[in-house]
Amino acid sequence: MKKNILIVDDEAPIRELLELLFTGKGYRVTAAETADEALHAVRRDPPHLVVSDLQLRESDGLKFIDALKGLQPDTPVMLLTGVLFDAAVVKETLQGKISAYVQKTAPLAKILAEAERLLAA
Amino acid sequence: MKDSPIPRVVVLFLLVAGVTVFVAARAVRNVGASAATSDWVNHTHAVMIELDGLRTELRLGDGALGAFLQSGDAATLAAAREAETRAADHLEIVQALTAHEPPQRALGQQLEPSFAAWRGAAHALVAARQAGDERAARALREADAAGAALRALLLTIEKLRATALELLSARDTASFLQAQSTRWSVWSGVTVNLFLLVGAGWLIRDDLAARRRAHRALQEANAGLETRVVARTTELAETNMRLAAENLERRWAQQSLAHQLRYQSIIVDSITDLVFVLTKAQSISRVNPAVLQALGQPETAMIGQPLARFVRLPINADEPAAPDPVARALKDGRETCGLAATIEDRLIALRVAVFPLRDGDQVVGGVVVAHVVGSAAPASPQRHRLPRP
Repeated sequence: MKKNILIVDDEAPIRELLELLFTGKGYRVTAAETADEALHAVRRDPPHLVVSDLQLRESDGLKFIDALKGLQPDTPVMLLTGVLFDAAVVKETLQGKISAYVQKTAPLAKILAEAERLLAA
Repeated sequence: MKDSPIPRVVVLFLLVAGVTVFVAARAVRNVGASAATSDWVNHTHAVMIELDGLRTELRLGDGALGAFLQSGDAATLAAAREAETRAADHLEIVQALTAHEPPQRALGQQLEPSFAAWRGAAHALVAARQAGDERAARALREADAAGAALRALLLTIEKLRATALELLSARDTASFLQAQSTRWSVWSGVTVNLFLLVGAGWLIRDDLAARRRAHRALQEANAGLETRVVARTTELAETNMRLAAENLERRWAQQSLAHQLRYQSIIVDSITDLVFVLTKAQSISRVNPAVLQALGQPETAMIGQPLARFVRLPINADEPAAPDPVARALKDGRETCGLAATIEDRLIALRVAVFPLRDGDQVVGGVVVAHVVGSAAPASPQRHRLPRP
């Protein structure tokens, strides 16, 4: 059975590109625009990996990750950080909550490699 | 590909059929000739049997006649007459049998007068003997007319028999030659047909071998083509996947760039201080919305214009020759803070900081951040420096 990846981002182009990336590699992808949508998707179809933006509309990724850990504590989370966040700061702050972080400026190949590493773990 | 062997095979089979028809026609003709020869042989044998019977009856009759002439016995006379009758029957059959055989017909026709002469002489002797006329009977015996006729008859019979035997021998030879001819025809036909069939078989075998070779070559070509198509398809699929991945990566990079630019704009635009981005020649290349609001002019009126046209930096009265502090900051590549300035037509007092923009080890421009500190005094003909806060 194909592994399910949940993508959470409030920007449609990013969701679309990540969906193309992961479906092209044979994964099943669920995309959500908001934290509420993402939590609903987690309850309906528990993902094997969550790829989430830190900034979300009407919420933020940190709150969503907290809620997610309440539902699926073992599900790995990859955080995509934008230009407003310093990677070292994110790592220091969120080390216990997330499995990996990648800047949005990183190439897709790196994002894919990180996702495959987390799914294989 | 070789020419089709079918026309040649058809020709060979037509030849086989022709040879078969020729042999069959020749055999049938020879069989007919053999049957005719057999009929003729039987016929000739019948002639010879009848000639032998005629000769026997003539001798019996002559013997019985001689005995009668000496003894006058009626029984011998009867025997002589019976032999005469049977001889006449044989003669009649012989004539009938030889009527359609030209070489024998003439001889057969010679028998009758001789037979008639013998029978006449015999009857005359019998009549003289029965009449008791010894002298006449003696004269007739001495004349030997019956004996002469009998010898003539026997001679003719011998000739006829010899003729029949000669013809029989000739027919035997002819029959043998016909049989030989039939045998030769049949065996020659069989041999020729065998060669023709072997030739046809060789052509067919050769054609089948050529077809098998062509089929194998086609299969190999198809297999090679299929391999090349599979390899090419795989190559194209890989290229397609690579291009798709590159395309996706490019789209990701574009959106990433757009994302960064948007956030940078948000950051700059959210600052309430006046932000001027300058080229190294102090021309304005960008301003934030706070500048537009403070100056009350559209961005298009400011882009490309010198900063001094909108922001007045006062001249130090003690050092009137001192260079423009913005130009000096950009030249030296050092930050300069706390400069007092005014937007005179709006009477706004500013506190200005200048930040050089570096690209590597070169200063390519600068950012001027102006904080509004209050209303400015009316314009003065001299530049002045505001006290530090």
